[in-house]
Amino acid sequence: MATLEIKDLHVEVTDEENQTAKEILKGVNLTMKTGEIHAIMGPNGTGKSTLSQTIMGQPSYHVTQGDILLNGESIVDMPVDERARKGLFLGMQYPAEIQGVTNAEFLRAAVNARRAKDDQISVMDFLKMLDKNLAILDMSEAMTERYLNEGFSGGEKKRNEILQLLMIQPSFALLDEIDSGLDIDALKVVSKGVNAMRGDNFGSMIITHYQRLLNYIVPDVVHIMMGGRIVKTGDASLAKRLEKEGYAGLRDDLDIDVALVDEN
Amino acid sequence: MDTMQTQTQAATAVQTAAQQHNEPSWLINKRLAALDQMADLPMPLVQRFNYRDWELMPGNLQWADSKRDLAQVADGPVQIVQVGQTTVRVNLPEKLQEQGVVLTDFFTAVKDYPDLVQEAFMTKAMKANENRLASYHTAYLNAGVFLYVPNNVVISEPIDIQLIQDNTLDQPLNSHVLVVAGRNTEVSVSQHLTTVGENANLANCLMEVIADENSHVTVATLDELGRKTMAYVERRAYAADNASVNWAVGFMNEGNTIGNFDTELNGVGSRADAKVIAITDHDQRMGVNTKITNRGKHTNGNILQRGVILEDSELVYNGIGDIIHGAAGSEAEQENRLLMMSSNAHGNANPILLIDENDVMAGHAASVGQVDEQQLYYLMSRGIRRETAERLVIRGFLGAVLSAIPAKAVRSQLVDIIERKLENGR
Repeated sequence: MATLEIKDLHVEVTDEENQTAKEILKGVNLTMKTGEIHAIMGPNGTGKSTLSQTIMGQPSYHVTQGDILLNGESIVDMPVDERARKGLFLGMQYPAEIQGVTNAEFLRAAVNARRAKDDQISVMDFLKMLDKNLAILDMSEAMTERYLNEGFSGGEKKRNEILQLLMIQPSFALLDEIDSGLDIDALKVVSKGVNAMRGDNFGSMIITHYQRLLNYIVPDVVHIMMGGRIVKTGDASLAKRLEKEGYAGLRDDLDIDVALVDEN
Repeated sequence: MDTMQTQTQAATAVQTAAQQHNEPSWLINKRLAALDQMADLPMPLVQRFNYRDWELMPGNLQWADSKRDLAQVADGPVQIVQVGQTTVRVNLPEKLQEQGVVLTDFFTAVKDYPDLVQEAFMTKAMKANENRLASYHTAYLNAGVFLYVPNNVVISEPIDIQLIQDNTLDQPLNSHVLVVAGRNTEVSVSQHLTTVGENANLANCLMEVIADENSHVTVATLDELGRKTMAYVERRAYAADNASVNWAVGFMNEGNTIGNFDTELNGVGSRADAKVIAITDHDQRMGVNTKITNRGKHTNGNILQRGVILEDSELVYNGIGDIIHGAAGSEAEQENRLLMMSSNAHGNANPILLIDENDVMAGHAASVGQVDEQQLYYLMSRGIRRETAERLVIRGFLGAVLSAIPAKAVRSQLVDIIERKLENGR
């Protein structure tokens, strides 16, 4: 069993334009284990993406206080590729497009990156694994010969993120708004992919605005973030309650003093 | 010694060497005329690239045999291999010989096919008086290849021209590859330029392609001249009506280099496509002009250049689209992109559009930048190490040009060279 612990995490980003630092996360605490699915919900601008990017190691986010532990080991000073090889995966909201590198070539490099030099995956095994996962996601083989994310539609990009998840088989997947821009059919396919990973050796942190995704991927734990902190934790019913009352209702119930970005 | 006297002495030396070589008078006269006008001609203009102090015109015309075993080149079905001035082998299948195809060294061609050579050599695709280096080349020419494809002949097998500069000797390589493709022909040429030996020498390598009506000529080059070679590489083409000329240049020379690639679309409906890939490293300096001139109506020119600049090196890409008055209905597109891999790298991607006709389509794109950090982050977030991620991004950057190289063997060799350069250049 693997564990991911976030302890009193404070994170700043530097504004490129005026070179001022802004604190986004103001003391996040969270522990998850493999075998669990956690959902992180919260209004816009509350630090959900910052949390996932910081865990992954995006260099623009600076940890000013607190720690992130993967299986008891601090990872805050590790480069992103090392974190990935230790078992973290981030399904991105805006995946980069890379011209001239085929999806298949990239997937193979990613699979092999986690394996020893003398234990690289054989072409046959790779293709077998790829075919199986393409079938789960209802993706055509042609997608693997296209350049990585180049010219992919929003839905294709999201599917491709999940394809990588299935190929790489990480311990923990951070999925950042994997449902945004998806129609209901695509949402089902993507959920099917994540559910295929469920088991004792996999944990996931699912970031979403909407309860809808959680009908398909039922979480064990739901966290509500506001103003850079987790303000409430509960089970799947918390998400449903939120759907009814909205973030403003919850905020007022909890008597928290934060402004919601989209509040009139 | 005054200039006049020097000039006379130089002329006498060239004349003596050419006579020793049993050259016909037309060629000797052409050499002497070129020598005579050299001093008055300008150097080729390479914008934003200063090479004023390069010594590109060592004035000695000598004949020397090179050791044949310096040429370590795998045998090919249609092939000519030269090391220095020595032709090591010519493979031309009988079937092609029967069709009238000529593949031979330049001076043999001068003797055996005087009319063909005289008509095409520095007359159509370029002239000796265009710039000082072209006239120097004509005066001091000491090696070369002649390829002639008669009308209506289609050659499916690529023609492999292997030129090895012999730097075990102390002499420049002034090599001229003359390709004449007759009407309705199809031919694909691959040229490989390499160096053996450790001496420092100049290489002045020219190629002329004359593409007659409705001919289709493809040239893929792999330029790998050595670190101690200062190089001037000029490649020119003349396209008649409905002819097409496609260039794919892998400019991988290791020493200071100037490249001048220029296609004249003279005929109605002629087309040219010029793709150039270059990688520079160490403190190397490289300036490249890639030009297509639209002269005929409904002509189409397309320039695509990509370069990677490593360490302390410099690479300048000038893309020049020149549409002459009267070339109505023509198109000129170009894209010049450079990737700088170190903070000491210098790069310039310079699109130049000269348009003297209203009814045309023209466009350009240019960029000089570094590897996109977002792309690297994305790849690394999948566990891929930084070096591997960088190589993937660079390969992808060059991929648009690489994938367009028709000769598979050239393409895979080029990929190997690129991998090696990237490996060493970090």
